[in-house]
Amino acid sequence: MQQEVVLAMLAKEPSYGYQLRARLREALGPLGEGMNAGHVYVTLTRLEKAGLLAVERSAGGADRSDRKVYVLTPSGQQRVAEWIAEVSWPRPDLAEFHLKLIAAAAAGLADPLTIVDAQRRELLRRLRDAQRAAMAEPDRSDAALLLEGVVLRLQADLRWLEACEKSWTHRRSGS
Amino acid sequence: MSNAADVSVLRARGLRREYGKGEGLVRAVDGVDLDIGAGETVAVMGPSGCGKSTLLHLLGGLDRPSGGEVWLNGRRIDDLGEKALARMRRTDVGFVFQSFHLMEELTALENVELSALLAGRSPRAARRRAGDLLEQVGLADRARFLPSALSGGQRQRVAIARALSNEPLVVLADEPTGNLDSAAVLDVLQLFERLHESGQTLVIVTHDARIAATADRMISMRDGAFVDETRLSGGTTGQLGAFVGLED
Amino acid sequence: MLGRILLVGRIAVRDLRRRRIETALLLLALTAATTTLTLGLVLRDAAGDPYQSTREATGGPDVVAGVDRHAKLSDLEELAGAPGVIDHGGPYPVTPAKLQASGRTSDVQAVGRDATPASVDQPKLIQGDWVSDGGVVVEAAFAKALDVRVGDPVTLDGRSFEVVGVAVTAAMPPYPGGTCIVAVGCASGATPEVLAKLPPGLLQNPGLVWLTQADVRRLAPDPGSLAYVMNLKLADPDEARAFVDAHSSEGLAAPRLESWENILEGVTELARDARILLMIGAWLLGLLAVASVSVLVGGRMADQTKRVGLLKAAGGTPGLVAAVLLAEYVLVAVVAAAAGLAAGSLIAPLLTGFGAGLIGGTGTPSMTMSTVGSVTAVAVGVAVVATVVPALRAARSSTVDALAGSPRPPRRTGWLIVISARLPVPLLLALRVVARRPRRVVLGVVSIAITVSGIYVALVLNAFLTAQPLAAGVDDAQAELLRQALLAVMVILFSLAAVNAIFITWATALDNRHSSALARALGATPGEVSAALAAAQVLPALAGAIVGAFPGGFVLFHAINAITGGDSDRATLPPLWQLLALVLATVLVVAALTAVPAYLGGHRPVTETLRAELA
Repeated sequence: MQQEVVLAMLAKEPSYGYQLRARLREALGPLGEGMNAGHVYVTLTRLEKAGLLAVERSAGGADRSDRKVYVLTPSGQQRVAEWIAEVSWPRPDLAEFHLKLIAAAAAGLADPLTIVDAQRRELLRRLRDAQRAAMAEPDRSDAALLLEGVVLRLQADLRWLEACEKSWTHRRSGS
Repeated sequence: MSNAADVSVLRARGLRREYGKGEGLVRAVDGVDLDIGAGETVAVMGPSGCGKSTLLHLLGGLDRPSGGEVWLNGRRIDDLGEKALARMRRTDVGFVFQSFHLMEELTALENVELSALLAGRSPRAARRRAGDLLEQVGLADRARFLPSALSGGQRQRVAIARALSNEPLVVLADEPTGNLDSAAVLDVLQLFERLHESGQTLVIVTHDARIAATADRMISMRDGAFVDETRLSGGTTGQLGAFVGLED
Repeated sequence: MLGRILLVGRIAVRDLRRRRIETALLLLALTAATTTLTLGLVLRDAAGDPYQSTREATGGPDVVAGVDRHAKLSDLEELAGAPGVIDHGGPYPVTPAKLQASGRTSDVQAVGRDATPASVDQPKLIQGDWVSDGGVVVEAAFAKALDVRVGDPVTLDGRSFEVVGVAVTAAMPPYPGGTCIVAVGCASGATPEVLAKLPPGLLQNPGLVWLTQADVRRLAPDPGSLAYVMNLKLADPDEARAFVDAHSSEGLAAPRLESWENILEGVTELARDARILLMIGAWLLGLLAVASVSVLVGGRMADQTKRVGLLKAAGGTPGLVAAVLLAEYVLVAVVAAAAGLAAGSLIAPLLTGFGAGLIGGTGTPSMTMSTVGSVTAVAVGVAVVATVVPALRAARSSTVDALAGSPRPPRRTGWLIVISARLPVPLLLALRVVARRPRRVVLGVVSIAITVSGIYVALVLNAFLTAQPLAAGVDDAQAELLRQALLAVMVILFSLAAVNAIFITWATALDNRHSSALARALGATPGEVSAALAAAQVLPALAGAIVGAFPGGFVLFHAINAITGGDSDRATLPPLWQLLALVLATVLVVAALTAVPAYLGGHRPVTETLRAELA
């Protein structure tokens, strides 16, 4: 996960580490379940070193390690603003699968259609999981929206697989 | 190729359906073997024109095969007469169609009770059953609405309620989400999930991956034949997190 | 403006050519109605012309006067000198007699004439010579009815005579419509039952013969029993009625006067009967045509909605759209009117062959401008009445809906749906088919009711004509002719009703394609669906037949009588068993006619229909 995400989650108000994790979990729903707590703290430490956030010791309370309150520094705030304005977008690497099919067909390593079928099975399983998770979410939760995105993404991938299937079927019967 | 449960509710052997002659011969269904166990949900996927709708019509006795056999609950149905087929459809099969196929001039309740009336139930029993079913699909408050006053998803839920009217052995759905927006698709998906949990045998023909993903088993169909089969049921992949890049 | 008319016309013609079968049916329905109407109108003038020519050829009288006893002869002589009278023939003695010819007997009125030609009413000889002692001249229509020819021996009150001539006259309507000029009186057009109640000695449907005056006097038992007739010629024939009014007086002994217009009415009575028959037929056919056209138009509108949408999307105003739709049917109506006029004028001579009693009686009736105008107006009227509602509806419909090609949604008739839930499956489906298109069902009922009431009237008239042709004022040959006219009307009526029934079933089967397929997918058998489609026609047919037979036919018959001034007591109404048989036969015929479309409608492949719905 990008550091900027963690940074941006702190933009609202200075927070304890556990508050930050709860916020992330709520937004991600079941997708956040696999989130590693240590990973968040490692990120926080890196950001602190970069001077993008500062740590304040909590006044009261016991001397527990997570009694740190994280605050954005001015340069941290600027970084968040830049990140918000960015238009980068995760790129699914379709080229890899595409080349896999071409290579398999060219070298006679495997039937491209068999590869497509296998891939579809995998994607369908993922779709099924995402969908189940989506249906289990209460209406209009943040996580449900994210899950819908996942479902749509998978659907798009499956449709591309359909196109691959059609194209390779055609090539095979055409040749 | 089947790993169906012990009891086959629906079974097909060497099923074929051809249209036309000579040069124009189209093999819509070309040698299909199929076993569907009681309580199983099976999705048949494939590009449009692969013959999946024709397969569904053959399984439900709406169309006659050019060759091969269809067995429903241990009874061979491909050689039945039109009349016997109609009787069989009444009690053993429930159809759900892409374009809903509700009667425009009948209310939701009347549409649902029609199947029961055709099956010879008393008007009172048919009405009570229809009321219960509409409640099950969450449309009790829309019982007196005409289809034109219902949304697409609501119409399809009425159609599903109608399909369940005579407690069929199997529900056959042909692109049930083909005409629905994504919110309505979710309604229908949930309904199918519930049916599945209640032990209803379901065969869904679709090219909507979402609906196929709810099935126990997914069959890919190409050019009238089955080319791949996947068992989808069983534990999750546990890789949901991978989709959002939380683990880098 | 001209451009727009051309545009409308071009679109209309193209559309008609695209749907040949429907256009042909439409044309057939309208032509049947216009042909019948033409016949009715043409016959109005048919008999008038021969009488006029007969009047000219025979020096026909303007007024015929008669007295029933010798003592009053002076009254006639007085009339001959009355102002306005420019010529006269007679007075001639008249006596009743019984004529026997080749085994047949009939009452006759024998008029004694001079051997020399008269200037007023000199009967025109068709055959043979004028009267001589012992030689009798027989009125042409009577001669035809009795089948006597020149040279035949006949007896009058037992005395032997020879038929020397056959002639026509304008002084009296041809047999059997003759006026009574004898002292004892006549019973023309009376049924045997009525005759039985009348005093004996009355002449029954007497024919007319001419003898020499001497022979007439010899036939009369005593000179005082002779009646006399005199034929008057007026300076102004148009004054005949006024003359009659001025010189008529109450009282038994006063001379009876009859104007030539009166005689003409008697002559045209038969034509009038046939004409009324045809006019009623034309009305029934017109109503049926409205029904057929409505069904056709209604059925077409369903797939015309898309065209209407295109027209409107291309910028056509609702007015233009309505104009195109109306133009199509008006065009068909005009063609049908032309065809009907042509067919009517070809057929009319066949129905007017009752000219035996008049000169030129078999001539071709003329076609007048008023006939052409009326027929065209009626045809166009029918087309407009049947199309105006759908045309306006289509023109007003939303362009978007129309482009989507969504057909007219079915009606919901809630109570029928509720009732039907309690019925067996075929009736359940049938009632729902009916409930979906109530207007079409009404058309079906009306169409059958019209046909059945027509058949009812035909049954009454046919029985009447068969049993008592003379009572109807016609002889056997004429009765036969009327029966043929009746039959022609009925055959057209029946064919049109049959076309309607088939077409309504066909339209219903097409309309219910989807719901039939759906019902079958839900488990209705093909037999049940076919039975439902047939029952959806047969039930309205039953209703229509009952309405048509019991109140419909009865009311129609009495309406005819009211129009014609006929005496309905003389006619026997069909017995109950005939009515029941009529209703039953109607239902069976409709069932048979609808069997094929209903069977096809119920056995259409389900999957094709359900799939077509997606496309």
